[in-house]
Amino acid sequence: MDFFSFGNIIVYIDKFIKFINSIFFLVLIIGLSFALIISPIDYLQGDAVRIMYVHVPSAWIGLSIFSIIAIGTLFNFVFKIKNLYLFVKSLAPIGLLFTCLAIVTGSLWGKPTWGTWWAWDARLTSMLILMLFYVFFIITFKIFKDSEKLPQILSAISILGAINIPIIKYSVEWWSTLHQPASIKIIGTSSIHSSMLVPLFLMLLVLLLYCALIFLMKYKTEIIKIKKKNIKRL
Amino acid sequence: MIIEFINMGGYGFYIWTSFLIVTVFCYFLYYKTKKTLKKYELELATELEKLPVEQRNRIARSSKVISNILASQNKLS
Repeated sequence: MDFFSFGNIIVYIDKFIKFINSIFFLVLIIGLSFALIISPIDYLQGDAVRIMYVHVPSAWIGLSIFSIIAIGTLFNFVFKIKNLYLFVKSLAPIGLLFTCLAIVTGSLWGKPTWGTWWAWDARLTSMLILMLFYVFFIITFKIFKDSEKLPQILSAISILGAINIPIIKYSVEWWSTLHQPASIKIIGTSSIHSSMLVPLFLMLLVLLLYCALIFLMKYKTEIIKIKKKNIKRL
Repeated sequence: MIIEFINMGGYGFYIWTSFLIVTVFCYFLYYKTKKTLKKYELELATELEKLPVEQRNRIARSSKVISNILASQNKLS
């Protein structure tokens, strides 16, 4: 278990940060070239389809991070693993950012394709609710940071927020919505051509590298905060 | 050709605004996170500097986190 000590973790964090910094701009340039130049236009939406390359990865990241947070918080509630708190605390702002970006870029995509910036459609509304759960989660950390009730409150928010995740995923199938059904399926054949799938995954990689970079810096900050608090005991 | 590229078939405003918003907000979070990290690193290093040399060395030997922070601060100064 010594491998997971803060001392070892911080050494690996620095190595990962250096690695991400060394490849990030190269991956970013390749991703943007594919998204803005190389990828073909859509036969119906024209160039507007290029918004997909930032909108879809943002939405995926926003959803995935909340799922990880929910699992992490529940694990922490049951098994009392203190490191998991730092983990979910460092992830939450990244999830909030990408959920907001998915909503904003979705709105910018909606105007030219649907003719409206916003509609109280099931997918859009459930994404807005996810954003609110992220806000509650972050505010709870700030308000109840020294309270013993923090694990219970965070678990409650996580469970309620986790119920919203399948609602977001299946909203386009359960209800008649403006939002199109999923084009990319994990099980089954995707209805998106590889010429668009490649830029999409490249942009996902760019944003995932960015998320990893922010997460590592935030996690390191949390470790330093603990060490600073305990300096007199060392 | 450049004007065509900027115009993006008439959707330029929506496309460029989307990419710009993502870039600006991502950079803002990066800047804020990095600034906070540097602030805490510096604060920890300053508190360690206040300690007697012997105690500081003992702490640095016993904690990899502290030795890592001290090393990074020494590199900067």
